[in-house]
Amino acid sequence: MADRLTMPQTAMPAASVRAPSVDIYAPQWRNFMFVAPFLFFFTTLLVVPLLWGMWLSFHKADTFSSGNFVGFGNYIRLFHDKVFLQSVWNTFYFVLLTVPALALIGLFLALCLNRRTRTAAVLRTLFFSSSVLSVTIVTLIWRIVFIPNVGLLSTIYGWFGATAPAFISDPSLAMIGIAIATVWWCIGLPMMLFLSALQQIPQDIYEAAALDNASRWQTLRSITLPSIKRTFILVVIVQIVLQFQLFGQAWLMTRGGPNNLTKPIVLYIYDTAFRRWDLGMGAAASEVLFILILIAAMAQYLVTRNNADRT
Amino acid sequence: MRAPAISIKGRAFGDRVLLALVILLSIVMLAPVLWVIGLSLKENAELMANPNSVFQAPYTLKNYINTIGTSSVFIWVFNSIIVSGGLTLGTLILSSLAGYGFARLNFPGRNILFVVVLFGLAVPEQAVLVARHQIFSLLNFHNTYHGLILPGLSASFGVFLMTQYFKAIPKELDEAAMLDNASRFRIFWKVLLPLTVPAQATLGIFTFLGAWNDYLWPLISATKKDMYTLTVGMASTQTNFAQSEGIGFLMAQAVFAGAPILIVYLFFQKYIVTAVSGAAVR
Amino acid sequence: MTADIEIRNVSKHFGTMTVLDDLSLSIKAREFIVFLGPSGCGKSTLLRMIAGLETVDSGEIAINNERIDHLPPGKRGIAMVFQSYALYPHMSVRDNMAFGLENIGMSREVIDARIGEAARILEMARLLERKPGQLSGGQRQRVAIGRAIVKEPKAFLFDEPLSNLDAALRTRTRIELAQLHQRLQSTMIFVTHDQVEAMTLADRIVVMNDRKIEQIGSPMEIYERPATKFVAGFVGAPAMNFVEATLDRSGRNATASFADGVSVQTEIASSQLADGKHTFGIRSEDVRVVAAGQGNADGVVDVLERLGERTLVYARLGDGQQIVGSDAGNSRVAVGHKVGLAFDGQKSHLFSETGRAWHAREA
Repeated sequence: MADRLTMPQTAMPAASVRAPSVDIYAPQWRNFMFVAPFLFFFTTLLVVPLLWGMWLSFHKADTFSSGNFVGFGNYIRLFHDKVFLQSVWNTFYFVLLTVPALALIGLFLALCLNRRTRTAAVLRTLFFSSSVLSVTIVTLIWRIVFIPNVGLLSTIYGWFGATAPAFISDPSLAMIGIAIATVWWCIGLPMMLFLSALQQIPQDIYEAAALDNASRWQTLRSITLPSIKRTFILVVIVQIVLQFQLFGQAWLMTRGGPNNLTKPIVLYIYDTAFRRWDLGMGAAASEVLFILILIAAMAQYLVTRNNADRT
Repeated sequence: MRAPAISIKGRAFGDRVLLALVILLSIVMLAPVLWVIGLSLKENAELMANPNSVFQAPYTLKNYINTIGTSSVFIWVFNSIIVSGGLTLGTLILSSLAGYGFARLNFPGRNILFVVVLFGLAVPEQAVLVARHQIFSLLNFHNTYHGLILPGLSASFGVFLMTQYFKAIPKELDEAAMLDNASRFRIFWKVLLPLTVPAQATLGIFTFLGAWNDYLWPLISATKKDMYTLTVGMASTQTNFAQSEGIGFLMAQAVFAGAPILIVYLFFQKYIVTAVSGAAVR
Repeated sequence: MTADIEIRNVSKHFGTMTVLDDLSLSIKAREFIVFLGPSGCGKSTLLRMIAGLETVDSGEIAINNERIDHLPPGKRGIAMVFQSYALYPHMSVRDNMAFGLENIGMSREVIDARIGEAARILEMARLLERKPGQLSGGQRQRVAIGRAIVKEPKAFLFDEPLSNLDAALRTRTRIELAQLHQRLQSTMIFVTHDQVEAMTLADRIVVMNDRKIEQIGSPMEIYERPATKFVAGFVGAPAMNFVEATLDRSGRNATASFADGVSVQTEIASSQLADGKHTFGIRSEDVRVVAAGQGNADGVVDVLERLGERTLVYARLGDGQQIVGSDAGNSRVAVGHKVGLAFDGQKSHLFSETGRAWHAREA
């Protein structure tokens, strides 16, 4: 150090103690301040409730107090509850009804509307418009379609002297009615995802195919569909995750009836936790839903990651 | 987008079949909405006597006048504006700061934290609903605006979106600004943030729409009628479907609630479409 | 303002990969220095280290004898022009230039005066209110330079600033840069992989290859007396001819013999040279095309490149080796002709197997 003070600057000895060279990309605590506000909300409102919910699911609890530790008691009660098992089945049934319909109709619309005409643009706007409505309005609209007497469906059937199927009260049709309303509501997103995938396909492939005299059907089968295979899988998984969370439509259209036949898992959680105030069991049911959705989300992660690797 | 096709007669027929199918689907999309609008313009008694009267005059605006005069719909619209606006503003601020932090700055544990935040994308609202409700009960947050706004601020999507967007901006801009003596915050505020306006618009519209249409959390948190959001309020009037003021009145209320959001959609269509496509390409 | 820059024993690693290895360099005030080398040689990294955008793993950088490598980029008193220009897209040209001055709290009057002066020098007063997106490539380039000028820095750093311009504009901007240097009398460091830019702009060129400095020298030194075989091959177009040769060191000057018996009397002192294989090197302009049998070697013409003022003749020797020679612009040689090649011994070079170069005695 003495050297450093007495020696002229031009002869800086390399070995002397010195300020380290600046590194603009070095990790620094003050940079943390930019993410801290979000992380505060993320931790207190997502991470803590997530862990708290797991903890709750092992306890007998009501709104203000959390009671005794009951181990897997809530889960055991859950899997002995016929209504819960019914709701799990209902959820899967609903996913099975809606997801293929959403994926296939969405793909069909995207293929038809993927052109630069004004009509196509207007129709794209139309098919996506229902997605911006709230579940309340969607169910109101569809109840007025399905309702006997003044319903749209019964009016149309009336023109032909027939009686419309009772989509809300008939046990075998109620879930299908909810599914129809849901497909009407949600068709915009899959269509848009397919459209953007179609626009990613390089135009010159089509030109090459045209030069090779490929028919339209051949072009579709050997170029278009293979190019959007991953998007198709992605759409299916995204829709599974979304439709697993069915709540509003079932609650507002049928209240889960008739006979719990349209009661999905989320409605079961809502009933158990916020109408019967059995928070422990409600938490346990929500953990089951979480695991189901997590599996689908993992699949989505794997698909998107492979996608990224490829490009 | 399609390759120029040489016209062959068979194609014209196929095109017509496709066109017919698309028209049919368009009718399915439109008819229920037109039906609702039609009903909203009719007297209740006339409807009950003959639903086909929808297709004939006389039409009336009475239901709309009743809606404006009697229902709580204005309070609910106000609540929805406060909640959706507050959540949108908060999300934009938090996501921009965090997006810049994750995309451009280095701090201890950054990569792990980002993975944790990404994991947040996979946590559905329902998985934290029960515990969140209990925590908010303890804090007396129910039936307040912040009780409705706060949960949405924990969503990871905005952070993810903004991080991707910041990463796409060339790093030379930051470096040029550093040579220009700008602090980290000044680089964020003056150089990079103005460049993220498209992403802000996209995220803002998405957040606003999502909050406006949210149903489950407001349903369990806002239990007092004057704290209902529009979505919950509308649902509450549906429960007494039969004995309510009449179908026409309900339908007028639905049109009243749905029209603004549809108009907003038509205005910001471009951003919404880019947002959806952007999410797909990522 | 101007400054001398001292780089002492600087090394740089990315992970386990060494990018710069114990490199030292003195840059004098007002000097125009060009870092020249192929991509990946570390020249841009070295420039970014001077700017403060990369860390210095070991060694030191000093400006005017004051160590600066521990200072943040903004505090070093230097300005940089990026390859992509890095203009702030949402700010007008004026605001782009003002930003750095506002950040140090300079008064509005001084800022306006400096912007006015820079706009005058670069003849872009009418562009001041435009956004970068409304400018052509060449205009953006000017703005980037203007943004550097207004800071009145101790040194200017240029990171391949001409590579995004088309050929004609590049030549014009090159000349303008040279004039700018004359006018500002400031230290400038310029990174490029283009040897023409290096030759035309530099007071001194620093040729870099594979993490190291190969040679530092004036353009003509680099061209006429390259220190290594790499420099000889990298600088000059077409590239220098290289032929494997055996040496006869019995005379005062060495004689080089090629595989097929051709021999060239060089003016390189035998005493300097060691045993072992050598490579003989000569530039195309030092190989005259003469009538067959009249030169050091005979060859058959493979290809002709007519450049106008001269003609490059690609001739194949008996052993298949190709040599590029030059002839008058209106050369009557045609492909397939047998020609003689006369090597200028004064301009011949020899390279050892390690790449070290020897040249003729200085006149």
